[in-house]
Amino acid sequence: MNRSAFTNPYVLVLPGFLLAAFIILWPLYQLGVISLSDVNRFGQLKGFAGIVNYSAVFADPDFLGALWRTFVWTIGIVVGTLVVSLPIALILNDDFYGRSVARVVVMLPWAVSLPMTAIIWRWALNGESGMLNSGLRDLGLIHTNIQWLAQASTAFPMQILIGILVTIPFTTTIFLGGLSSIPTDLYEAARLEGANGWQTFREITLPLMRPFLNISIVLNVIYVFNSFPIIWAMTQGGPANSTDILVTYLYKLGFRYGKLGEASALSLMMFALLLVFTGLYVFLAMRGERE
Amino acid sequence: MSAKLKKSILYWILLLPMIVLVFFPFAVMFITAIKPSDEVLNPTWWPSHAEWHNFVAMWQAANFGPALWNSIYVSVLSTLLALVVSIPAAYALSRFRFRGRTFFRQFLLVTQMLSPIVLVIGLFRLVVWLGLIDNVNSLVFLYGAFNIAFTVWMLQSYFSTIPKELEEAAWMEGASPWKALIKVFLPLALPAMTVTAIFSFINAWNEFVIALTMLRRQESYTLPIQIFSLVSGRYTVEWNNVMAATFVATIPVAVIFAWLQRYLVRGLALGAVK
Repeated sequence: MNRSAFTNPYVLVLPGFLLAAFIILWPLYQLGVISLSDVNRFGQLKGFAGIVNYSAVFADPDFLGALWRTFVWTIGIVVGTLVVSLPIALILNDDFYGRSVARVVVMLPWAVSLPMTAIIWRWALNGESGMLNSGLRDLGLIHTNIQWLAQASTAFPMQILIGILVTIPFTTTIFLGGLSSIPTDLYEAARLEGANGWQTFREITLPLMRPFLNISIVLNVIYVFNSFPIIWAMTQGGPANSTDILVTYLYKLGFRYGKLGEASALSLMMFALLLVFTGLYVFLAMRGERE
Repeated sequence: MSAKLKKSILYWILLLPMIVLVFFPFAVMFITAIKPSDEVLNPTWWPSHAEWHNFVAMWQAANFGPALWNSIYVSVLSTLLALVVSIPAAYALSRFRFRGRTFFRQFLLVTQMLSPIVLVIGLFRLVVWLGLIDNVNSLVFLYGAFNIAFTVWMLQSYFSTIPKELEEAAWMEGASPWKALIKVFLPLALPAMTVTAIFSFINAWNEFVIALTMLRRQESYTLPIQIFSLVSGRYTVEWNNVMAATFVATIPVAVIFAWLQRYLVRGLALGAVK
């Protein structure tokens, strides 16, 4: 057989590889250069600056606030999603009337893009005429309007709740895939041995679901850590930076305050952190592949 | 009452809070979209009558047409760009064992996870350097390049399910590799390519942060940025128009996504197994 271009794998792979690598490596190189330079707000480099930009990031109290909130944001959404999605997946995996309808409904939040979801919620949570306040008043649950987005103490938890809501479909899907991979005769055997529902769940479902739980946790940590539209479209990190997480703080630093050096330094540090999580993901995914 | 019926009622009751939360934003969007403009700020749920004219008025008020065109332009071209380089790469991954294959697959897994947000300053400089600021073609290039990891991954997982023996049989019959590819492989791979293209399209359609960064003038805004510009930094927001625009921008894509969602999951899962 002649080895033409169509059968040479390197020729076939190269264009895609080069483009995908370029779009990551070129910006990364730029970030490296800027983060080590003295740079003005128009992006002109004024010489080598060492690690000044890096130490400036850590000296900023807004950074520490955003860092802490990123932690709360990520843990809150990932754990919240896990706790809600597992029972939902168990229900949807069982046979009941209207299951296919229920599956579609649970998946719906995934179908709408995050900025659009966030804009709808921004209106729904409006203090004076938002439909959440009017709905809660009609039900008699509140008597005065709550200014949901006017202070971080209500805005941030709401954003976390919305984050959980939009993360549930993806997570439930992974769990459903895991549940359907468990052989049904294991459950039969357990029932014959007289195991109750809770025992079956603990001794069979949970251990066999472990790889899927791990993958979903790692993937959600990555997605949620990077999630920008919910916070940006609802509050832009406000009021007074009190709902900023690292990605929104980074965006302000670079494009609003014009501190390009600090923003680049922060980008690189976040990139490094992401790489660690991604390495963990690749490890888990490839391990699943070998088995 | 049968056991299954009892179980069904219990399950639906358990799912009820989730269902309410899922439908609430859709209800808010739709009800606001059909509210007459003088009732939008009233703190009531239901409008006195359905004002369908909002959907017409919004087209002008929200500058919907140009933004819709920009979104279609960017989504279609970036999808084509991604597919043109991804199809050969995915074919190679599914058909040949070669040195560096594992590395390339790990590279794809990693780049799929890297979000543009941490690179956005570098990307901005790249676009400035290319002279494409405020030009929708910058998005075509960036979305296309960022989507490659996803499209190659999806495609190779589906390509691997097409038996290699079919092409080998064509080679035996004396067909050139090129002819075997066109006559035997491509027809079988077409559904996978269509599904992958649709998801690539939706990714581009929904993208926010890159468009927010690269587009500065209203003429070049895509739909998410156009609609966002109507609500941010304004004293008066015409929420009925905004919600009507959101509805039209969201629902068609959402329906397609909900319909094809299982293929996405299967493709990603297959990719991890094959």
